[in-house]
Amino acid sequence: MKKAILSILAISALVFSSCDRIENENRLIFSGAVGEWYDGSPVEDHTHRALLEKYTGVRCVNCPNADIEISNALQHFGHSLIAVSIHDSCTFTRPYEGDPDMRTPDGNELSHFFGVFNGDYPNALVSRTKKTTGEWDLFTPTAGVDSHVEPIVNAPATIALDVTAQAVDNDGNITIKASIEFLESCSDTLALTLFVMEDGIIASQLSKEGKINGYVHNHILRDIITDWQGTEIKADGNAGECRYAIFQYKIDTTLWNPENCHIVAFVSNKNTMLVLNAAECSIE
Amino acid sequence: MIKQRSNLRTPFVLCVAILACFSTPTFAQGILGGHVTGNIQLDGQISRRDTIIGSNDVPEKLLTNARADILYTNGDFSAGLRYEAYLNPMLGFNNQYKGQGIANYFVSYKTQDFAITAGHYYEQFGNGLTLRAYEDRYLGLDNALFGLNVMYRPWKGVTFKGLIGRQRVYWGMGEGIVRGLDGELNLNEIVKPWEESRTRITLGGSFVSKYEDDETILSEISGYKLNLPKNIGAGSVRLDLSHGGFGLQAEYALKGQDPNIMNNYIYRTGQALWLSASYSQKGLSANIQAKRVDNMGFKSVRSQTGEMLYINYIPAITKQHTYAFLSMYPYATQSAGEMGLQGDFMYKFKKETLLGGKYGTDLHINASLIRGLDSTIVGGRGTEGYTSTFFGTGDLYYGDLSIELAKKLSNKLKLTTTYGYVAFNPIVEGHAGDIHHNHVVIGDLTWKINKKNVIRFEAEWMGSDSHYDADIDDKRCGDWIMGLVEYNFTSAWFVSLSDQYAYHDGIGNYYNISVGYTKGATRLQLGYGKQREGIICIGGVCRQVPASNGLTFSLTTSF
Amino acid sequence: MKKIILTFAATLLFGFAMAQNAKIPENITLKTLDGKTVESSIIQNDGKPIIISFWATWCKPCNRELNAIKEVYDEWREETGVKLVAISIDDARSASRVKPHVDGNEWEYEVYLDQNQEFKRAMNVINVPHTFLINGKGEIVWQHTSYVDGSEEELFELVRKLANGEEI
Repeated sequence: MKKAILSILAISALVFSSCDRIENENRLIFSGAVGEWYDGSPVEDHTHRALLEKYTGVRCVNCPNADIEISNALQHFGHSLIAVSIHDSCTFTRPYEGDPDMRTPDGNELSHFFGVFNGDYPNALVSRTKKTTGEWDLFTPTAGVDSHVEPIVNAPATIALDVTAQAVDNDGNITIKASIEFLESCSDTLALTLFVMEDGIIASQLSKEGKINGYVHNHILRDIITDWQGTEIKADGNAGECRYAIFQYKIDTTLWNPENCHIVAFVSNKNTMLVLNAAECSIE
Repeated sequence: MIKQRSNLRTPFVLCVAILACFSTPTFAQGILGGHVTGNIQLDGQISRRDTIIGSNDVPEKLLTNARADILYTNGDFSAGLRYEAYLNPMLGFNNQYKGQGIANYFVSYKTQDFAITAGHYYEQFGNGLTLRAYEDRYLGLDNALFGLNVMYRPWKGVTFKGLIGRQRVYWGMGEGIVRGLDGELNLNEIVKPWEESRTRITLGGSFVSKYEDDETILSEISGYKLNLPKNIGAGSVRLDLSHGGFGLQAEYALKGQDPNIMNNYIYRTGQALWLSASYSQKGLSANIQAKRVDNMGFKSVRSQTGEMLYINYIPAITKQHTYAFLSMYPYATQSAGEMGLQGDFMYKFKKETLLGGKYGTDLHINASLIRGLDSTIVGGRGTEGYTSTFFGTGDLYYGDLSIELAKKLSNKLKLTTTYGYVAFNPIVEGHAGDIHHNHVVIGDLTWKINKKNVIRFEAEWMGSDSHYDADIDDKRCGDWIMGLVEYNFTSAWFVSLSDQYAYHDGIGNYYNISVGYTKGATRLQLGYGKQREGIICIGGVCRQVPASNGLTFSLTTSF
Repeated sequence: MKKIILTFAATLLFGFAMAQNAKIPENITLKTLDGKTVESSIIQNDGKPIIISFWATWCKPCNRELNAIKEVYDEWREETGVKLVAISIDDARSASRVKPHVDGNEWEYEVYLDQNQEFKRAMNVINVPHTFLINGKGEIVWQHTSYVDGSEEELFELVRKLANGEEI
């Protein structure tokens, strides 16, 4: 009889243990492949947005003026203009003692590629357009931002782009979904680039009037999720084609404030680097 | 996740062969002895279009459901099988029943202390909070387990049950594997000095676990799917205590993380508490039940909606009303979450007293109140879902009160009068809208003319604050009257005529005529008329039935 | 396949003819009103007739039948020694109300709970009320489904015959 009880207890223990418990942090499994492109659904918003990449530095006296010009342009164009501030590693960008470091290796790559490095600061490029002479259409963004942006946003978009980002947990893990729809056929190879941005970074900034303590730096490029040249979009390029890809990223919550972070995405020509459309989103 | 029924065939052939062996000449010679019993039911329906009640033409003209149970018993051994045919399923039965075949077969060996069943079986642990495999032919519901079921009584008063199997779903089988253990101790039989005690105590406990393979359920966060638990357990403890006229029954169940389609894939654990206290003596009884259910829907296939594949059963504690207008708004347990309270009181006024009169009077009062949980949503799929306070309550779901007086007026006349009140929140049927408040008055008179002729009259009235609205199309709204006359000639024949009519703020006129003939255990019934669309509920499980207009027939027999 | 079914059907029909007077199944688990587990073999009456009535608290005709028999039960018992066993098929929803219901109605019957409806299936009961008459040998000699006021008198005629040793 004891044997019977023991065997019943043993079976009970076995059955009891066969009950899975999944803690909060383990409940989600990444099911896509990073950068893999899938057929998607149409993108509702067909807005053509311009991407303004501004090269700036905390020790650059004219840079605060560029910030004023750009914030005016942002007000004027609303959601049609997306601004990005890039800190390369030239002498102007060296942080002041105790301030956060906004320099990034990817920023350096871009600065070198577009021929900004150790040149004039501030410097800007809108949607990576070229002059008729074939040089990059760089300009000093303390004035004339509107005239660079206007022709782009007034032209209809050839590709529609939508980006969304969601927090997976409280540790900074996020997923980003980028969806595109070809509004016109396109035979060029295209690339998607994703920037992680942060607003509201407090760091001293040199100006014509001297050093400003507690200066608020907005739309700062923190990192590039894709390759700095973008990741190739796998698509046939026929008009009406819809594709999407999912990316994973972990925000460095020790150095950045995740609540102030947002994502900028843009589609560019893989060879000419020309930006066809851009989009931004906050992290939900 | 439903396997095709083709894999039912091989065991079926085997089973037929076994049964055939037992019933071949040896049986007739009486060497093996044994008995074959069974029952057959055939239901049919012819429905025509009626725009007012919303019934449609049936392309097949005739719909039939048929089944036959055949049972062979020989001492401790028994075996059975059931044939079912839905050609095509009657209105209200799921179309996946379409077809015919052997839906259920088993062999069983059972002695006093030991029982084993292989094949299809039905089982219940405690009150069913963790497991109840059962069928209800009128609901088209059958969640029989197919597998092995064992019962063992090592000593007097101690019962263990163990089972493993998969559940039937229409003509197939759910993918999930269900395993369960149950133990019950009757202390009065175990503890010698308590044997004759007036206090009777039974304790029980059960554990049920379900295994289901992984599948892709996407998270609300793009790019992620859920990490699903493959083994889901539920356990319960229960008590049944009585002392003379007092009785107390309680069961508490817990369920592990079980993200499923009914709870929108949340990881909150489930729990249910059920309590019943009663007192009774000759001519008087009182009973109170309370219940709290929180995320307790437990199915063997996580993505299954509807009434099939439930492993557990959470009884509704509202009274099962039988009069038409009182049962117009039946209530089914909201396994996602609810709090309920029910009270029942019966009293017999003695003969030769003021209220009792010459023959005595029966008073029966019942009231119930069901509310939602006081819950706060904390997230969607893949999260805890919501939090709730144990004693807090939310929206009113259902409330009713019924007072019934039954009185024998003379040797020939018996009158039952009922007043009822029902408050019903349409949200429990899944749609928004105002709460309906209904008052119901019923008179039910039986006139025994002589030994062979009995007539029964029934009149019902329902006043409601609801109005028929074509957008919502709830045909129960409005004020109604109903009349019914039933004539019985001996216990063999009956004819009944009835009509329900919405005289104010509602639509519909449902007339019906039925004729029935009963001989022994055989009953044939024919009906012609209009059947309201509605919800049929039996024991807390409900099924939507569309309107029909036409002829129905039903034949049942047992042998 | 077809052959098997045909053979099976034929043997069944044959078996059926032989299988009159089936006995009540013995090893079905039932519960008493105070929670004790018993076997259906407990249904005994010292060689005297037994009425087995399947009912439920929510079933109106069942209640009418059991209430009508209550009025005459003492006389029936005195005259024939018959015993009525009431099997409640109430499920968890109303099973806890069975005992109060029985007491409240002053029924003196032997009442068992068949919550899992195992006995109901074994006895091939489709609807309630369903009444069986069992002879002294434990054989089912008569059964009837449904109840109409007054039909308890027909039932008692049969009980009387059985008690007198007549065939039904």
